[in-house]
Amino acid sequence: MIRSVDSSGGRGFFLALALSIICQAASARSTTLDDSGSQALEPSVRMHWDEAVPHQNGGANLLTGATTIRVRINVTPWLGRTGRIFLALPAQQPGPIRMSWSTQGAFLPGQLLSGGRVLVYAGPITKPVMEEVFQFKFSVDGALMQRAFPVSYTFELEEP
Amino acid sequence: MAGIVAATLAATTQAYTVNLTPAAPKTIYLQIGVGAFTGGNYLSNGQPARNAFVNTVSANIAAAVVGNGTAQTMTTDSTAANSFYDSFPFCSLPNQLYIGGFYRTTGAVTGAAQVIASVPLSLTDATGDTIPFTQIKWSAGGNGPTGTTATQPFPSGAFTGVATQNVGAIASNQWAESCWTFSYLNTAVPAGGTYTGVVTYTLTSP
Repeated sequence: MIRSVDSSGGRGFFLALALSIICQAASARSTTLDDSGSQALEPSVRMHWDEAVPHQNGGANLLTGATTIRVRINVTPWLGRTGRIFLALPAQQPGPIRMSWSTQGAFLPGQLLSGGRVLVYAGPITKPVMEEVFQFKFSVDGALMQRAFPVSYTFELEEP
Repeated sequence: MAGIVAATLAATTQAYTVNLTPAAPKTIYLQIGVGAFTGGNYLSNGQPARNAFVNTVSANIAAAVVGNGTAQTMTTDSTAANSFYDSFPFCSLPNQLYIGGFYRTTGAVTGAAQVIASVPLSLTDATGDTIPFTQIKWSAGGNGPTGTTATQPFPSGAFTGVATQNVGAIASNQWAESCWTFSYLNTAVPAGGTYTGVVTYTLTSP
């Protein structure tokens, strides 16, 4: 009898714990951060052919461009707490966009495709404004890009 | 109070926007005979460059066969035997003249860039005698797996007596190349002499 009750209760506890973890992950609140203080060092990203000459079979039609942005993120509301910051690149015109970046160490380097987001910081928020110099590189299929396009990204914070 | 804080955050958060701008991406390149690529061929990161040299295609017709209707193969002074794409030995010198190029453009697939030959009516000698350019034809080919197909981007043809003549096309964002072997039809009996004429080929994008 006791063994039977213990066994049943054990499974129930495990199930409840698992559900609790899932619920916590699902309820993690994501807040778009204010990065209006950021400053681009170039007015626009000039997109050049990744390969100047096309292939015989018509491949290699990637346009790439780079820019440096001094990112300033206002995290005042989270000062003294911990959080995870993601860089998100929403799906947008002109189509699939690949974005990669390097940093100076305060944030993580990485890359992502439009429609996704990547963790760039995890830890304590110790300053009201977090700063980092991002060197971005954008890549777009040349077939999608006949004119200039604005491309937007956001920084999102999740608290544990 | 909570409502005020939420409203303030919503008002100040924003996405950062950068502008991606195509930077002079349309490029065309045409090479007939010798051309110029700096830094090696394309696959070794060479870049196309300007080359103003004009090659010659010629034939010496022996008096005994002048006008007998047997076409005479012409030869070129071009030294361009290898493809500038990958240095493959594509054309056989001195009989074949290299023609190749590319058309780079952004946006969806466009119409092909066209190669137009501007052709004088005749070749002339020093005394004003003439041979019509319609006495010259060419066959397209080239070494390698794609060189012997009938689908050359610059196909076989002949000068037809018009001032401007389409001699081939390059699809958007493709590299195209062929080798031309010129022949003198030898169906006329002109006065003895050295006859010359210049054909100018122009690549025009849509």
